[in-house]
Amino acid sequence: MTELLGAFARLAPIMVWAALATAVTMAAAVVLERAEFGVQQALDHRLLQRYRPLVHRALEGDDTARDELLHAPARHRITIAWLLIEPLIADRDPARIANARAVVQAMSLFHIADRYLGSRLWWRRARALRALGLIQATDYTPQLVAALDDPHPDVRAAALDGLTDMHDLRALEAIVVRVNDTSLHRGRRGAALKVFGSACEPFLLELSELDPANRLNYIQALAICGTARSRPVLCRWTRDTRLEVRATAFEALAYVGLDDESARVVIKGLESDDPPVRAMAAYALRGWQGPGDAAARLAPHLDDTWAVAVQAARTLQSMGPAGSVELQARASRPDIGGLLARQMLWQASAPR
Amino acid sequence: MSFLRDGLIAFSLLITAYFLLWNVSQIAMSPLAIRSLWRDRLRNTRRARGLAGGVAVPRFVSIVAPAYNEELTIVESLRALLAVDYQPREIVIVNDGSTDGTLALMQETFQLVPAPLAFDQPLPSAPVRGVYRSVSEPDLVVIDKHNGGSKADAANAGINAASGVLVLVIDADTILEADALGRAVLPFLEDPATVAVGGHVGIANGCRIERGRVTDVALPRSWLARFQIIEYMRAFLLFRLACASQNAVVLISGAFGLFRRDAVIAVGGYDRTAIGEDIDLTIRLQRHFRARGEPVRIGFDPNPLCWTQAPEDWRSLRSQRCRWRRGLLQTLWRYRRMIGNPRFGTVGLFPLPYIAFFEGLGPLLEVGGYVVTIVAAAFGFLNWKYCGVMIAVSVLFGVAVTLLAVLLNDVTSRQYMRGRDLALLAAVATLESFGYRQLNSLWGCVGTVQAMTGKGGWGSMKRKAFRP
Repeated sequence: MTELLGAFARLAPIMVWAALATAVTMAAAVVLERAEFGVQQALDHRLLQRYRPLVHRALEGDDTARDELLHAPARHRITIAWLLIEPLIADRDPARIANARAVVQAMSLFHIADRYLGSRLWWRRARALRALGLIQATDYTPQLVAALDDPHPDVRAAALDGLTDMHDLRALEAIVVRVNDTSLHRGRRGAALKVFGSACEPFLLELSELDPANRLNYIQALAICGTARSRPVLCRWTRDTRLEVRATAFEALAYVGLDDESARVVIKGLESDDPPVRAMAAYALRGWQGPGDAAARLAPHLDDTWAVAVQAARTLQSMGPAGSVELQARASRPDIGGLLARQMLWQASAPR
Repeated sequence: MSFLRDGLIAFSLLITAYFLLWNVSQIAMSPLAIRSLWRDRLRNTRRARGLAGGVAVPRFVSIVAPAYNEELTIVESLRALLAVDYQPREIVIVNDGSTDGTLALMQETFQLVPAPLAFDQPLPSAPVRGVYRSVSEPDLVVIDKHNGGSKADAANAGINAASGVLVLVIDADTILEADALGRAVLPFLEDPATVAVGGHVGIANGCRIERGRVTDVALPRSWLARFQIIEYMRAFLLFRLACASQNAVVLISGAFGLFRRDAVIAVGGYDRTAIGEDIDLTIRLQRHFRARGEPVRIGFDPNPLCWTQAPEDWRSLRSQRCRWRRGLLQTLWRYRRMIGNPRFGTVGLFPLPYIAFFEGLGPLLEVGGYVVTIVAAAFGFLNWKYCGVMIAVSVLFGVAVTLLAVLLNDVTSRQYMRGRDLALLAAVATLESFGYRQLNSLWGCVGTVQAMTGKGGWGSMKRKAFRP
């Protein structure tokens, strides 16, 4: 033990100095980081004050302002590009986008984008892809499509964001075939389909026939961008052997909307043995006021399993007088179905 | 005598090694934390955050806030919730049998009326007495229930009534940042394996709050609150961020936790018998999915997503810390089979053994170390120089670790922008090691005794109205 204490005594000065050095380094890092931030903020403030009015005027077509921007020092160009492009995230006015693109073109800022696209640093590639999408630089569509296969997930996400903002129909096929690509963020795939809307529909319908293994994904996509054209196919997929596919097909029909024929299929779906299918069939009838005894067929499902009962109640609420009659008929009952009916009736008449 | 001498010296050396190891491990975690922060900064751009609004089917979020005797803060907190800029969402306030004017105040302010509300009750909770909807705020639902004796019980009732795909469980006095939901929803849109997301919780004491928003961040006057601010920074921005970088988050703070509702229901919701219901639920989620070999991700946003009040009196703080301690020990005992178990991946191999060693044993070793070293020095077995070195090394490393957390906090959120505040934080980081830390360890020992004897309740916290 004495030897151990001796060893400790020998190490003690080193430990104290090491601890002191670490503490001083951290304190210095805090001070230096804050100082650097202050300087950077001051510089940014100066540049923004100088260029913001110029960018504003240039976007409104002022040639003098544009000339001044063209003669800005090269080291200020990133700031100018940011001033031009960043507002386009919220403001997707086509005229503003076109003006911004023209200024970017005139200032040769695309060279910076080219450099960034070839960079080894993933965040530079991602930044360039998002910027190109925001200004709808359609000359770059092939590069953005190619970036969907970038090894870095955030670059792939940025490429998808870029293509969504770009809205170039040439990219449509590339986006649709990646509906099954789980390496791309799910939400982003949906957002892209939403932007392209019904233009995706023919591809999706074709793929849902050709690629049954991934039919579920195509149906989910049709729920985002499908139209009346999808109805017959979706009705067919409500008879698929897979439970998930059948339920999702009914869900997609809810988004697409029903006609008399599809309503008949949906009403029949209420008799399915599988609760998820019944729930989605009930959901698909939301707002339906056409022929058929949909409300009367739905009402018994207020006593079904919870997931089905909720959908049935909300749908009855949306069906107008026919739904109200069924809800009122059950509202006096003390069970959960009765409570659901009372809730729907209360919500429909609540003072707002 | 020689045996006693050797024993005391060995224990002192062991404690020194423990202190060194703890501080070095914290510093060693910093590259992981910094990498995580850097990555978040690069990818969490304004355009990327826009996804929550641009997505084809926006995720419906139910904000569940259990409230028990919150009359001082409930109106302000509710206004903040209603001002959250995320749609679609609903707010479910669970009045957990409050004995003060919480419900009456809400009824009066938000024009609540009794309304029928049917919901499934997959999670256990005390009986519901009534349901109210607001005439002025259509998104507001108030569940009035019997007191279930725990936040877990109230949260379960709120989750039962929630109709969202995602449920955000917060404390009733939590003040959300305007973009908190938009940020927290993002991981769910990106990765379908995401089951929960937590965030950095800031301390609202000393901050200016206007219309339910923190508009000016400043350090509080109370030293007790200041110490807690740097404690929170250390906890959120070092260990938790390092865990997040390895997909091994084991604690989503009760003040802000966004969960996939079906996942919470699948694991049985909050455990009403758990003292630390937040850590218990997080670990249960990890265990449930990992044991089945299913992909699971629990995210963590390093930016402050919400603000909460820290206790400013010794009594409340002591009771809170003892409760946390009991909760931690209970959780470690319940999930002891996961500790060091490779079946649970990084969760079993990294955070749980770390917590068990440094947080489970920490207070006992620390207090024991102080006592034994002083006794050994008093009996002349150790010289006072040794004690001085031990204290100097642990204090200096402790200060370094805290300053690192202050640095990370500054880089992430620029919360305390006044130079004076930053200098004060550095001073707090130093002073914390002289008394506050030791007191915390002592409370840890008290909590351990309470856990072993089955004593100690939830305790109460003296609340203050938010400063306008």
